[in-house]
Amino acid sequence: MYAVEIKNLTKKFDSRTALDNLSLNIKKGKITGLIGADGAGKTTLLRLIIGLLLPNNGNIKTLSLNPTTEKEILTPKIGYMPQKFGLYEDLSVIENLKLYADLKHVSYDFEKLLNFTKLEPFQQRKAGALSGGMKQKLGLACALLGKPEFLVLDEPSVGVDPISRRDLSKMVKNLITPETTVLWSTAYLDEAHDFDTAVVIDKGKVIYNGKPHDLAETSKEFEEKVIELMGGYKPEISKIAENYKDTADVLECTVEATNLEKKYGDFYAVKNNSFCIQKGEIFGLLGPNGAGKSTSFKMMCGLTTPTSGTAKISGVDILKNPSKARSNLGYMAQKFSLYGSLTVRQNLEFFAAAYGIGLFDRKKRVDEIVEIFDFQEIQHQKSEDLPLGFKQKLSMACALIHNPPILFLDEPTSGVDIVTRREFWNHITQLAKKGVTILVTTHFMDEAEYCDRISLFYKGETIAIGTPKELKQKANESTMENTFIKLIKESDEK
Amino acid sequence: MRILSALIKKEFLQILRDPSSIIIAFVLPLISILIYMYGINLDTVSVKMGIKNDDANPEVTTLVKAYGHSKYINSTVYDNENELTEDIVRSKLKGGVIIPNDFSKKISKGQTAEILVITDGSEVNTANYVQNYASQIANQWLLTGKYKYLAQKPIVTPEIRVWYNEDVNSHYFILPGSIAITMTLIGILLTALVVAREWERGTMEALLSTQVKKTQIVLSKYIPYFTLGMLSISFNVFMCTVVFGVPFRGNYLVLFFVSGLFLFTSLGIGLLISTVLKNQFLASQVAIAIGFLPALMLSGLMFPINSMPTFFQYLTQILPPRYFITFIESEFMTGTVWEIVIINSIFLTVIGVFFFILVCKKTEMRLNK
Repeated sequence: MYAVEIKNLTKKFDSRTALDNLSLNIKKGKITGLIGADGAGKTTLLRLIIGLLLPNNGNIKTLSLNPTTEKEILTPKIGYMPQKFGLYEDLSVIENLKLYADLKHVSYDFEKLLNFTKLEPFQQRKAGALSGGMKQKLGLACALLGKPEFLVLDEPSVGVDPISRRDLSKMVKNLITPETTVLWSTAYLDEAHDFDTAVVIDKGKVIYNGKPHDLAETSKEFEEKVIELMGGYKPEISKIAENYKDTADVLECTVEATNLEKKYGDFYAVKNNSFCIQKGEIFGLLGPNGAGKSTSFKMMCGLTTPTSGTAKISGVDILKNPSKARSNLGYMAQKFSLYGSLTVRQNLEFFAAAYGIGLFDRKKRVDEIVEIFDFQEIQHQKSEDLPLGFKQKLSMACALIHNPPILFLDEPTSGVDIVTRREFWNHITQLAKKGVTILVTTHFMDEAEYCDRISLFYKGETIAIGTPKELKQKANESTMENTFIKLIKESDEK
Repeated sequence: MRILSALIKKEFLQILRDPSSIIIAFVLPLISILIYMYGINLDTVSVKMGIKNDDANPEVTTLVKAYGHSKYINSTVYDNENELTEDIVRSKLKGGVIIPNDFSKKISKGQTAEILVITDGSEVNTANYVQNYASQIANQWLLTGKYKYLAQKPIVTPEIRVWYNEDVNSHYFILPGSIAITMTLIGILLTALVVAREWERGTMEALLSTQVKKTQIVLSKYIPYFTLGMLSISFNVFMCTVVFGVPFRGNYLVLFFVSGLFLFTSLGIGLLISTVLKNQFLASQVAIAIGFLPALMLSGLMFPINSMPTFFQYLTQILPPRYFITFIESEFMTGTVWEIVIINSIFLTVIGVFFFILVCKKTEMRLNK
C-alpha cells in the first residue's frame, strides 16, 4: 500500500526545471526521509504532494486522491509543517494552538502535546519570543493537531541543537498512530538513517529509494554512501587557502575573551566567558539554542557592548579600538546578510570597499576572489537567486576579501547539504593550516570533530572546554552527539 | 463558521498586539484633522501691504488711514518708493499702493484720478485679493469723505445671503471633507499590509494547507478592519463636531451607513494591493501613493471637479472619495438630501463590490513558487 504514488512528475519554474520526470512511491504507515542537496527539489516535491503547487506534467496520487482536483478532500487528512513553521509570531503559544485547532475542526485537547513539547510553562508566551527549538516544537504540535493520516515535515530540524532534534523525533514517533505516514525532509543524514525509508533526490530525480540500513549499517557509512550517490566528494587542495597570504604575528592569544558578560535586566545571557585562541586554531563554540553563543559572538566583534569584561582581537582591545580590532576580522553572520538584489560581483565589490580596499586594488582583488571561488559563471547573477550553498560560499568570499587573519563563522553551514558542508570544511581546515585563526559555531556534531578545541556553552556559561577527544573521554561517550547531550544533562543535574 | 470566527479572532489579536494599526486608525486622523484645522485655511487672512502717499492734501491722508483700518490688512506707510518696491521684491509685502501727487488735484477737477496698485503675481489669490481690496477701500473712501458728491449712486445693490455656511468659514466644509481623505488613506493602509504579511512570514502557506476556504480568508481580512475603520470614522466625526464645533445638520445613521460603504471600497483597494504584491514594503509604498494623492487632488475637496480638464473629470468618476466627499459635505452642512445619499451610495456600492470580487479572484489558494 502506498500513501503517495508519483509518475513522471515534472515541475518547472520559468526556465528552471525543479523536478524532472520523477517517479516515486511512498509506503503507507512508515517514516520516509527525503534527502537531497539545496535546490534539489525537496520543498517543491513536498508542496506538489499536498497540492500547494500544481505540476506541469505527470500524475500524483496522495492518499489515493488527486491533489490538483481533490485538494479540499485531501487537506483535512494532512498535517503539514512548512519550513517557516507557519506560526503567528504575535500570538501566544496557546493562541496558536487554538487557532489551528479551530481551522482543523478539532477539540482544544492540548494536554498531551504541551507535555511532550515541554511548552506547558510557556503557554502565554508569544511564539515570536520562543527559542528556535521551541518554535519548531510548536510548529510540529500544530501540524500534529487532529491526528493527521499523513504528516509532511519540511526540514523541521534546521538550525536546531542535538537535544531539540532528539526531542522532535521522539515527539513524532510517540504522537502518531502506527497507521500514520510521515514524510520528513532533512539535511541531517544521521536523522535519516533512523527512518524506515530514505529517498535521496538530486537534480530533480530520485537517485535512491530504499531502507537506509540496506545502504549502510552505521550512520557514518550512510553519510559516505549518500555522498557517493550524489556524485561523490574528494577533498581537493583549497584554492582559497592556497591564495591566503599570512601576515599576522604570533601572539600568546590571537583571540582572547576575558570575563565577557552580558546582562539583560536580571538575566545573564552570557556569564563570565573567558577563552584564549591561538594562531591557526579552529575553536568551536557549541551549545543548545539560546545558550548565548550568538551574543558572545556579537560581543567579540564589537556589535554589542558587554556589560563587563572585554575581548582582544590580534591584541587590539575591541572596546577601546573597535574599528582597528574589526579590521583583522572576517565575519560571516548566521543569516544570509548580503545584498540580495546585487549581483555576486557587486556584493564582492561592495564588501571590498567597505573593508577599505582602495579603488585601484579593488578590481584586482575581486577578480582574484572570483577566480579562487570559481564564481566566473555566476558572477553576474543576482545573489538572492542563488541556491543556499552558493549564498554561503559568497558570504565566505565576502568575509575573506580583505585577507583577514581571523575568521568568525556563526552557524555557517546551517541548512546546507552534506556535500557543500564537506567542501566548506575542507576550505576551513586548510585555511587554519595556513595560519588563519577561526572561531565557529555549529549544530552539526560531526563538524565539531574538525575543531581543534571546543567550548561547550550552556545557559550563558562554559560548562566544558577541551579537544573533541578530551570531551568525549570526560563524558565517557564515543560520539560527539552523545557527549554533547550527556554533558548538558549533567550540568542540569548540578 | 468556526474557521471564520477563529480567523477573525486571530486578526483582532494581531491588531491589539501590533500597535501600528491602532496608530493608523486613531493617531493619523488626529494629526490630519489638526493640520486641516490649523494648517490649511482657504479664507484670506491678514495680508501685509505698503502705502506711499505723494499727495500732500490733508484729505488724502484719510485715504491712507482707511487702508490701515481693516482687520484683513496690515499696512505700513512708506516715505520712499524704492523701499516699498524692494520690500515687495523681498516678499516682505504682498502688495503696495502708491498715491501720485496730482491725485487730489485731479479729483477736484472731476477728472479720473489714478492710484497705482502693485501686487505680487506669484501668488495669484493674494494678488487678486489685494487688488480688490485696494479698489474697494478707495471707493468707500470716496463715498464717505469730502468728495462724496462725485460718486455715483449705485443703482443695483446686491443683498447677499450665504446658505449652509453662514459664516463663510471654510473649515466647515474642509473638516468633513478631510474625513474622506483621511479615511481613504486609513482604509487602504490598514489592509495593505495584512495579506502581504501572511505571505512574507510563511503563515499563508500553513493556512493554505488547512481546510480554510477562499471566502473565509477574504472575509477574515475585511471584517476586523471594517470594525476598526468604523471606530476610526466615529473618532473623526467626534473630533469634527464636538472638539472643533463643526455644525452637523444631517442624520448620524445615514452618515455611518454611507461611511461604511465608503470604508468597504477603501479596504478593498488595500486588500487588492496586498494580495497582488505579497510584499509589505512595496504594498505600503503603493498604498500611500494610491490612497493619498488622487484622493486629495482629484476628489473635488481642494479643486472643484467642474474646472478640471475633461479627462480628469472622467477619471474622478472611478475615485470613491469623490462620491463620499459630495455626500459628507452635504450631510454636514445641509442635512440629509436623499437624492445625494442614494446616488452616491449606489456608486460606492458598485465600486466596493467590484473590488471585493477582484480581491476574491486574486486570492490564490496555491503557491506559485
